[in-house]
Amino acid sequence: MSAPTRIVVAGRDTALWLGAVMLARALEPVGVTVAAVELPAMTGPADVHATLPPLEALHNRIGIDEAALLRTVGGCFSLGHNFTDASGTVPAFLHAYGAAGASIADRDFFAYWLKARRYGLPVPLEEFSLAAAAARHGRLLIPNEETERYGRSDYGYHLPAAAYAQSLRSLAGKAGITICSARTVRPVLDSETGDIAALDTESGRVEGDLFVDATGPEAALIAAIDPARESWRALFPADRVLAACGPGIAPLPVYAEGRAWDGGWTALHPAIGRTHVVQAYASDACSDDAALDRARSVSGLALDDATIRTLDPGRRTAWRRNCIAIGEAACVFDPVHGVELHAIQLGLVQLLAGFPAGNGGYELRRAEYNRVIHAAFDRVRDFQSAHYALARYAGGFWARGREAPRPEAVTHAIDLFRARGMVPPFEEESFLPDSWRALFVGHGIVPDSYPPAVDRTPPDEVKAQLRRMLGFVREQVLKAPTHDQYLARIMVKPLS
Amino acid sequence: MQANLPPSSSDRFRIVILGGGTAGWMCAAALVRQLDPADYSLTLIESDDIGTVGVGEATLPHIKTFNDMLGLDEAEFLRDTRGSIKLGIEFVGWNRPDDRYIHPFGTFGEPWAGVDFQHSWTRARLAGCDVGSLQDYSYAIALARANGFEFPSEDTSSIRSTYSYAYHFDAGLYAAFLRDWATTRGVHRIEGQVMDVGRDAGGGHVESLTLKSGETLAGDLFVDCSGFRSLLVGQTIGTGWRDWSQWLPCDRALAVPCERVAPLTPYTRATAQRGGWIWRIPLQHRTGNGHVFSSSFCTEDDAHATLMGGIDAPALAEPRLLRFQAGRRAQAWAGNCVAIGLAGGFLEPLESTSIFLIQAAVTDLVDLIPTRATGIDPRLAAEFNRLFEIHYDRARDFVVLHYAANARVGEPLWDHVRTMALPDTLAHKIALFEECAAAPEYTLGLFSRDSWLSVLEGQRVLPRAWNRLADRIPLDTLETRLNDLRARIAVNAADTPSHAAFLAAYCGEVELERAR
Repeated sequence: MSAPTRIVVAGRDTALWLGAVMLARALEPVGVTVAAVELPAMTGPADVHATLPPLEALHNRIGIDEAALLRTVGGCFSLGHNFTDASGTVPAFLHAYGAAGASIADRDFFAYWLKARRYGLPVPLEEFSLAAAAARHGRLLIPNEETERYGRSDYGYHLPAAAYAQSLRSLAGKAGITICSARTVRPVLDSETGDIAALDTESGRVEGDLFVDATGPEAALIAAIDPARESWRALFPADRVLAACGPGIAPLPVYAEGRAWDGGWTALHPAIGRTHVVQAYASDACSDDAALDRARSVSGLALDDATIRTLDPGRRTAWRRNCIAIGEAACVFDPVHGVELHAIQLGLVQLLAGFPAGNGGYELRRAEYNRVIHAAFDRVRDFQSAHYALARYAGGFWARGREAPRPEAVTHAIDLFRARGMVPPFEEESFLPDSWRALFVGHGIVPDSYPPAVDRTPPDEVKAQLRRMLGFVREQVLKAPTHDQYLARIMVKPLS
Repeated sequence: MQANLPPSSSDRFRIVILGGGTAGWMCAAALVRQLDPADYSLTLIESDDIGTVGVGEATLPHIKTFNDMLGLDEAEFLRDTRGSIKLGIEFVGWNRPDDRYIHPFGTFGEPWAGVDFQHSWTRARLAGCDVGSLQDYSYAIALARANGFEFPSEDTSSIRSTYSYAYHFDAGLYAAFLRDWATTRGVHRIEGQVMDVGRDAGGGHVESLTLKSGETLAGDLFVDCSGFRSLLVGQTIGTGWRDWSQWLPCDRALAVPCERVAPLTPYTRATAQRGGWIWRIPLQHRTGNGHVFSSSFCTEDDAHATLMGGIDAPALAEPRLLRFQAGRRAQAWAGNCVAIGLAGGFLEPLESTSIFLIQAAVTDLVDLIPTRATGIDPRLAAEFNRLFEIHYDRARDFVVLHYAANARVGEPLWDHVRTMALPDTLAHKIALFEECAAAPEYTLGLFSRDSWLSVLEGQRVLPRAWNRLADRIPLDTLETRLNDLRARIAVNAADTPSHAAFLAAYCGEVELERAR
């Protein structure tokens, strides 16, 4: 078998264009050609990508300028996701993209906070987080050396999905990618090997060595090789996702907000001049019409462009024969925590971590890819599963989430956190301990104990350090520009 | 600080450590350093009649983190334990009888074009360039071969920053050093031999230990550092044993110290033999030697002869025989007993994993230690056991690799280990590297990517292909870079003080030859 030199990426929307551009940027210089088979878009004006911090590094890798991108697509920053109860009963918490607190006497901050809370400290965890505090104040904290010394402070984006895909598509043209538009695509399997030999479209046949399936949940390529799929249906309470668009919010919030109601949740993702609403619910308890009404009432916004799609979480073997599924073709996630684009990124980064060369085949490489990517997907799923397992909101939807079966690793993580306030480390983890802690604490877990080693630090020293931290956070947040100010600054196209 | 407070106060959580070897005293020292004496009492029982194995005179770089946590002064520590510097391990004869390579505590090359170095090296090699061995691209190896040492540079752009270091030391002296350190800080030491183990009515938890003197010691948590006997977790509670002798058939060692010789090498040596292998560990005052062998393939007399014929200076004692079995407990934490060190598992000292495995367990125990309020909590034990498994199983795969990848055809032990069925996890790692130069990478436990690379390439497991992204550098540019890198390493390594001179300057009273 010779090394693949012709890659065909078939699919639609962000997965297609991010895949094609990233592979072309990395591999065109070494003589690999990339062709894109573009199927009709499925994202509409209401759809949004709520992205996680690692996307910035991927953008840098393929040469996407942050300011130019946000200008082009009307996107903005997000410092985290605020989880609230529409009924106002369960307290809100912010999952911010940053660390809470700085270490004391070489020991982790979080254990000190647990102890301090036990002894009556009334300060929530998030007030020690630069990202969370900035988010609460509507300010955008761009990390610098001083804040990095204190703790990590990251951000994601809210990117209108259709505009983002279009912007990537225009990059594809510049990256030398051959684009073939088609209404349908059908893989032609080699009768001897079972590999995909070519893709048939109504406008002709596209041949290649390696095929990337970016067709979304339909998985048009990889399902032809292997229809098997591990369903996660039972783990998650939602089977419908509604997307809609409303007017902008002023001043512009710098985080997303999820509002739980008895039959699901509704999340508001602010962008420039508009607000993207994503709502998850269960169809057996809420009709689509009722869902739209709820989206309107819960968001408090006049909504347009509403679309509803079915949701069936689960994972396929991502790499079969000479076909690699990325994004939703490989794995469909529940929409909570906005992991969809991150999953695409995980697949592409892992593919480029070992792109086959030489003529010896890539059987082991493929097995390794699947091992790693499946573990990574499972870890992301586990974070979402823990969210539903612990959410205390009232209503049948949430009761179903709490009663759902959960992966063993989730049970173990919750148990350990309840016992000691620690997060067990796993390989291929996307969410840092800070995220797990924000989730656990936010959902109301009060650990039975904390790592006793923090008792070795004199309480007065701890108190002084905690005061110093709160002062630092306040000072940094007040120095930071508001989200609107920062965007106004970068929205002005620089003269070149 | 409270010195020698007896653990009588019942409102404190009582921890009893059984055994005073390296494991027992490392555990006692870490616990007394990290736990509040108002909440915990610490007692260690050791018997002057029961010898300690004194394993792991050679260590891994992680030991420095442990010593730093205790706040030990490095120079003082090296002086008191008669220690020396270790930059890696030289393996002799593990592939073919005259092969030698070093597993260094350092990196190989630099990532170019965004891919790990071995991909660039493999590509140039397969293109027919004269790339030499991967060994030529490690500064730590060059420094070791030159018998030199200085502290790694803090300038991360310098080739002189691309390594770390560990120590060789006298494990008996280290345990004694930690004993003094821990007992002056509140660990209550009791001399005695355990005659009886008292258990609760349900037969689950251990409640007390009765000593030969008749004294009975009650406790809330028992740390079993009783060595191979595994008195509490193995013998009393009887958790299962995962036997690894199918992959690691060596089950004996003969150990003998000899006089030291110049030059003082800053590395351990492990030389393969017909029936096993011989270690050589240079200390300030002597050289430790030992022959690890398999009783199925080698008699004790043959091992004795091979060992005594292989040492490079007069022996200082008669060889001492140790018996062991490779494997680990199914669970290290069972009920209210935690096995640490040899009581929890054993891997032959080929990659100096013993002290690291103690350190990892002690670190996890500090985090997961029960409190008076929580009592014994199975949720904490579950995490301890999960991490224990990861640590032991990953270290095992790495040690087995040395045996599996040999070319000593015609020698029964080596024929056996070359052809045996490997653990799936290891077989996959080797095959993956051969196919595409991808080296194992994980975040939990031993060993790093560079460690795997050193042994894979060192034992002639060579990749057939590489990550194509490496091709983004033109081949002639790559060749120039490889040559420049080798030259940079050689020039820098030639310009460092000798290991002996470093130690003399650092520790003061070391009497050693200054010459290399």
